[in-house]
Amino acid sequence: MRWLRRMLGLALATAFVAQVFGLARRWPVTRYVVEGPSMEPAYRAGDRLLVNRLAYLRRPPAPGEVVVLGDPERPGHLLLKRIATAPEGDPGPSYCYVLGDNAAASRDSRSFGPVPRRLVVGRAWLRY
Amino acid sequence: MSRPIAHPLVSRALRTIDRLSPPATVEAHCDIPCGIYDPHQMQLAALTIIRMNQLIEALAPGPDNAYHNSMARYVAVKEEHAELLKKEVRVIWGDYFKPEHLEKHKDLHTTVWNILKLAGKCRQEVNMAAAQELLGSVQKFAEIFWDTKGAKPHRQASKQGAAGGELVYPDA
Repeated sequence: MRWLRRMLGLALATAFVAQVFGLARRWPVTRYVVEGPSMEPAYRAGDRLLVNRLAYLRRPPAPGEVVVLGDPERPGHLLLKRIATAPEGDPGPSYCYVLGDNAAASRDSRSFGPVPRRLVVGRAWLRY
Repeated sequence: MSRPIAHPLVSRALRTIDRLSPPATVEAHCDIPCGIYDPHQMQLAALTIIRMNQLIEALAPGPDNAYHNSMARYVAVKEEHAELLKKEVRVIWGDYFKPEHLEKHKDLHTTVWNILKLAGKCRQEVNMAAAQELLGSVQKFAEIFWDTKGAKPHRQASKQGAAGGELVYPDA
């Protein structure tokens, strides 16, 4: 039991150091802070969340799930949207249709169309 | 649809980490193309403040109601336009400017700060020097604004009578 505890402590310490020193951008779990109102009321500006980057290794994103994805119109920027069912039918396995919860204040697949799956960074997991 | 919340201890640990290394931003932006801003209104307000200072200084003191009435009106308009100016600059500063603009115009924050302080001074005092300085800061702000819009700003005489001064316009 003691070595198990020690290993656990070591793992936690490693994760802490990695998060602090910015080695965490590509970690399985990444921290993000929300900006803007398009996902209200589920997520508000200033909310902090953990994103699971491994969520879609074995399955595609499912409707209803909130994901972080690269902005198809502005490279280098990230968006927070919800996976939805495309109105014009299934966009195929390598594409996702995304919508903001706050439709009146959201720029999403309604304007830029389905998004390639490779732009999806991960699934919103915990708010903290 | 659920959005689970982390245990308070985990949350505290993560927020501590956030302070040491801020998390990346995910945007849930509106981006409704309503981004219509113009620093013209605040320049007109600055000219109005100059004009009110002129009128206050020129007003011959007297014990009659006419004097008090005019003085009260000039001061009220000066107050109102200084507050309008502060509101305009806060909106453009807070809603329009982005970090990439700040990289090019490193004095943006200082300029805005000066404008807010000078506008406050113009309310508190009858101070022509502060009013002129305010116009100068607002012109500078307008030039920064139009530069970030890809326009080449230029100054030209306001042609607003005794208030004089120059206004900043974007070149097409």
